Amino acid sequence: MSKILYIIDENDNKDYKYNIDEDTIIYHFSINSSSNVEINMIKDGVTLFYYYSDINYDDNNFNIIVNHLKSNTHSEVINHGVNVKDKRLNFIVDGVVLKDSYKCICNQDNQIINIENGKSTILPNLFIDNYDVDANHGAYIGKFKDEVLFYLMSRGISRNMCYKLLVNGFLISSDSVNIKKIDKFINEINNI
Amino acid sequence: MLEINKLNVKIKDNGENILKDFSLNINDGEIHVIMGPNGTGKSTLSKVIMGHYKYEVISGDIIFNGKKINKLTTDERAKLGLFLCMQDPTVIEGVSNSEFLKTALGEITGEKVNLFSFIKGLESSMEEVSLDSSMLHRSLNSGFSGGEKKKNEILQMKTLKPKFIILDELDSGLDVDSLRIICDNINSYIKDNPNTSILIITHYSKILEYLKPDFVHIMMNGNIKQTGDLELSKKIEKYGYSIISENDKDE
Repeated sequence: MSKILYIIDENDNKDYKYNIDEDTIIYHFSINSSSNVEINMIKDGVTLFYYYSDINYDDNNFNIIVNHLKSNTHSEVINHGVNVKDKRLNFIVDGVVLKDSYKCICNQDNQIINIENGKSTILPNLFIDNYDVDANHGAYIGKFKDEVLFYLMSRGISRNMCYKLLVNGFLISSDSVNIKKIDKFINEINNI
Repeated sequence: MLEINKLNVKIKDNGENILKDFSLNINDGEIHVIMGPNGTGKSTLSKVIMGHYKYEVISGDIIFNGKKINKLTTDERAKLGLFLCMQDPTVIEGVSNSEFLKTALGEITGEKVNLFSFIKGLESSMEEVSLDSSMLHRSLNSGFSGGEKKKNEILQMKTLKPKFIILDELDSGLDVDSLRIICDNINSYIKDNPNTSILIITHYSKILEYLKPDFVHIMMNGNIKQTGDLELSKKIEKYGYSIISENDKDE
């Protein structure tokens, strides 16, 4: 059984630091906020799932660094942002595996959807100093595909409602999220 | 039901003309078939009827139940009762099948969907199309086999209850059992809704053993070159499109 943490930021600028010594899932929901997150994997064999979901209206940054300080540690960092206006949204995502940390898994998936013509950047960095590591990173910045919108609209769903459906699916990417804990975030999706 | 008059359509990106003075009239309750070689504009026609973003109508009219729909958005056309069963349904990660269908039903009817009757209705429809109910909770078309995707299209048809159905190569990638199940469901739908009209786009006459057409049209170079009945489709399957006269091809 994993420990589960919820973080909800709203119009904020915060720093977070976690030392992970047991299997942990962190759901980080952000409404128009910036944050710096430092994660230290301090116990052999622990797993972290970090889900960052962001609705952005102004210029904001999200920086996260995951330090694999012990062997056999496993991190999955999934960062999804929706940049609603013509503003800047930047993700800097660092996965660090030290020389003495063997057989680690260090994965990250980063995506930003620009609803209008915002300027978004993603730096998906992996700093790996050990040869026995499984590490993957990916980054996508773009809009929802026209083909997807056409399919939904061909079933009678208006363009606005399509966006709500797609944003909801994009930002609530884990089935195990307790929706009751993030009602403010869900309301914000409906207001986009 | 659907009237297409002298429709000329080009691809927005490269300006290529796909449909050339295309005309077709489909009355209430009729089943029409369009056959034709690859690249002749059959699938384009189905997408143009639904208002696809890649194509531009240069001239001509698409009229549905007396209303010109050329300028309507895709969702507005669907709300009027048009439904396109797609050749290769789009995969949409993160949007569950049930959430999608519930939203679509609410948008089509303009009413709040009663969750209990919606779920009960869906379970029954899924059984009829031989789809496992667990698929309701999966992302839309994600990880579905070709047959499951087509069945899911028919599930949507049964749920949204359209008046005019376009089946774009419904039979491609389907095994014989799945094709029979899907066609049984369409026939049952027609029986319950006898005014429903259907436009079938296909390469093969096998599907026409299940869905009996009133008219078969042969389309070449963006236009209908010949119209007949079921016998015409059988001839095409046997002899190929070379039987269409040279005069017709050059038109």
